[in-house]
Amino acid sequence: MSDLGGLIRKEFGRIRSDKRSLVLLFAIPIILIVVLGLTAGGTTTFFNASIISKDSIECSGEFPDNTSSEYAYSFMSIVKNNCTAFGLKTNYTATDESSFQNAKSECSNLLKSEVIDIYIILPENFSEVVEASKNGSINIYITYYIDGSDMTAVQAAEVALMEPLAFFRMQAGLLENMTQVIPYTEFDVPSWKTQILNYALPMMLPLIILGLDMNLTSLSIVSEGPLPRMLLTPTGRREIVLSKLISYSAVMFLQVTEVFTAIAIFDLYCLGSLFDFYLVLLVTGFCGVTMGLFISAISTTEQVANQIYLMMFIVLVMFSGFMPAELLPPWMGVFIDILPLGHSMELLSNIALKGLGIDEFHLSVVLGIAILFLAIAYIAYALKTKLKKLEV
Amino acid sequence: MATKNSELSSSEIKISVKHLNVGFPLGEKQIIKDVSFDVKKGEINGFLGISGAGKTTIIRVLTCQIPKKNWEGEVTVAKISPEKKSNHRELLSKIGYVPQLENLNLYYDLTPMVNVEIFASNYGIDKDIAVKKAQDLLSILDVPEDTWYNKTRSLSGGEKKRLSFAIGMINDPDILFLDEPTTGVDAAKRYDVLSYLKKINRNTGTTMMIITHDLEAAHICDTVAILRAGKLLEYGDPKGLISSLPSQGQIARLTIEDLDRNKINKVRDFAPVKKVMRSGNEILEVFMEDFDINLSKLVEYCIHNDIKIISLSRDEATFRRYFQIRIKEEEEREQRFEQGGGH
Ligand SMILES: Nc1ncnc2c1ncn2[C@@H]1O[C@H](COP(=O)(O)OP(=O)(O)OP(=O)(O)O)[C@@H](O)[C@H]1O
Ligand SMILES: [Mg+2]
Repeated sequence: MSDLGGLIRKEFGRIRSDKRSLVLLFAIPIILIVVLGLTAGGTTTFFNASIISKDSIECSGEFPDNTSSEYAYSFMSIVKNNCTAFGLKTNYTATDESSFQNAKSECSNLLKSEVIDIYIILPENFSEVVEASKNGSINIYITYYIDGSDMTAVQAAEVALMEPLAFFRMQAGLLENMTQVIPYTEFDVPSWKTQILNYALPMMLPLIILGLDMNLTSLSIVSEGPLPRMLLTPTGRREIVLSKLISYSAVMFLQVTEVFTAIAIFDLYCLGSLFDFYLVLLVTGFCGVTMGLFISAISTTEQVANQIYLMMFIVLVMFSGFMPAELLPPWMGVFIDILPLGHSMELLSNIALKGLGIDEFHLSVVLGIAILFLAIAYIAYALKTKLKKLEV
Repeated sequence: MATKNSELSSSEIKISVKHLNVGFPLGEKQIIKDVSFDVKKGEINGFLGISGAGKTTIIRVLTCQIPKKNWEGEVTVAKISPEKKSNHRELLSKIGYVPQLENLNLYYDLTPMVNVEIFASNYGIDKDIAVKKAQDLLSILDVPEDTWYNKTRSLSGGEKKRLSFAIGMINDPDILFLDEPTTGVDAAKRYDVLSYLKKINRNTGTTMMIITHDLEAAHICDTVAILRAGKLLEYGDPKGLISSLPSQGQIARLTIEDLDRNKINKVRDFAPVKKVMRSGNEILEVFMEDFDINLSKLVEYCIHNDIKIISLSRDEATFRRYFQIRIKEEEEREQRFEQGGGH
């Protein structure tokens, strides 16, 4: 009987008059994308290194006292000139224990101030041991120091160090009876693409889109004064909720389209289908809309809605995969599976970096969560308006 | 004059309530007790009563807001019963509702025209027809044309109120319900609001049911109901109710020097006096039978009994006076009943 078009026009009118939320919704993602897009460099896959050589310290033990240090210099030169993952910032040749300590503390300071990412120490008798190991097998110990506050860098360094070592072995002729491992990372963002942006997007976009759409929608019912009075017209609760779902989804559609256009302009690296990427964003946004409706339906005042929103957002972020599932107690890990963000992030990074298609399981989970929240929102709204005395 | 509309089709009953009881839960905490009344087509009906009497509760039954398990009785609104859930849509499409506070009825960030369109669409009314109808209503209600396309927020309080009336009328309702239409309106404007309601009633013949504390509203009502503690005390047209007072509501208002209980009792002892009410420090209001004949006799009686009259005026009871007398009578009756029961 009543006409949904009128209700939808009303929703658009209300959304349009809420300038603050609109700015949030459309400007925040763009600002983030621009900032990340203009930030040069990538994650720590390139290491600025310092090298301290103790090779020139007077020889000890069974080695002939020739203080040869040619291999230390060739190692430094390899790091400086031949490696793609390394650059040599400073190098030190220690001739006694005190000069070694000085060099070490200087490197430590450089590491702290992030001028370098790693420093490597070549042991005493380095050249002699290399020479000797050509005839037999003697192990060489190379020590490196790295900033432990950056977990990803620690892992990356392990892999990256293979490169100078491999080159060094070739040059020093230590290849006999040996299989050489040269690492190559697959599924990373190529260096000619804006790396920070492209690594961040699959993590960031679901969070921003879902968060902002949930924020916008979370006030849609609770802040509408005349809504109870509308129930004294032939309009039913179903039409009211449906008109909100349609209107807010339409706004979400615009937002996602805007975001998608912006990342395309800012050099999105996507190995898989762009359409799949866009579709996942839409489903994530839809989930945000229904979660917002849910908040709005169960809240009694705007303040309550804001508080519930904040709580839900924190829970969503906590269990989005920022904290790896392996680190959590098993029962907490379940939250990652039943909340949407982790699934969206996985979908996006698989599409963008691995070129996979849409994984139906992950997508159905996100969609299922969205529909579940929609259903609860409708039931909660119907109950609220039936039980509570209408304030009209 | 006031009965002109209702005479046209006095047969058609728009609201019929028979033996209505409401309770939360029913039968235990009784809020409405055996209330019956009819409202005829074209009438303005006023529901008066002090706070908590149950006025809003009755309207909530009539507008499908109270589940059937909380009320019993035979109720029809525009010939439809709110009893069955399946009737609600049809019933709601035939009524209009103007809530007490405008912010429950209007989207302040949208224009008056858009507000009207929104509510029109709730009734499935075409946008163009809604706009036309809105223009007519807003003109009748003197909402200035240059405000129609500004934000509703910028309208004056009175204009918002009238816009709210227009929205209540957008579906040409059979019955318009109004909850406290004059609350929050200053005394000078209150009369305006009421006369606008009368104007709508005259122009469209819409039946209206008004809940109000404001006894002035009785001026525009064809029938009034006085409700007290969930019971219907009186129901009828206000003039008729007033004239049911002794001497058809004629009052002698005496200002008496050093008025005290003795003197009041003395006046009460005068045979034709039906009712005496103190209405101020030195003012006494007296109802008598055969008012014109007995007024001069009352003066003589007072002089004779050493009661010094400073001034005397004759007056006709307003509805306000009637209401107060009626409520007071009821309170006294209840007290007597309680005392009687105590012994
Ligand atoms: N859903 C309910 N549950 C319990 N009690 C209720 C309910 N609705 C109303 N009442 C009680 O019924 C009584 C009458 O309430 P109602 O709102 O009808 O009064 P009213 O005459 O409209 O008063 P006012 O002029 O102050 O608006 C009040 O005592 C109220 O507390
Ligand atoms: Mg009330």
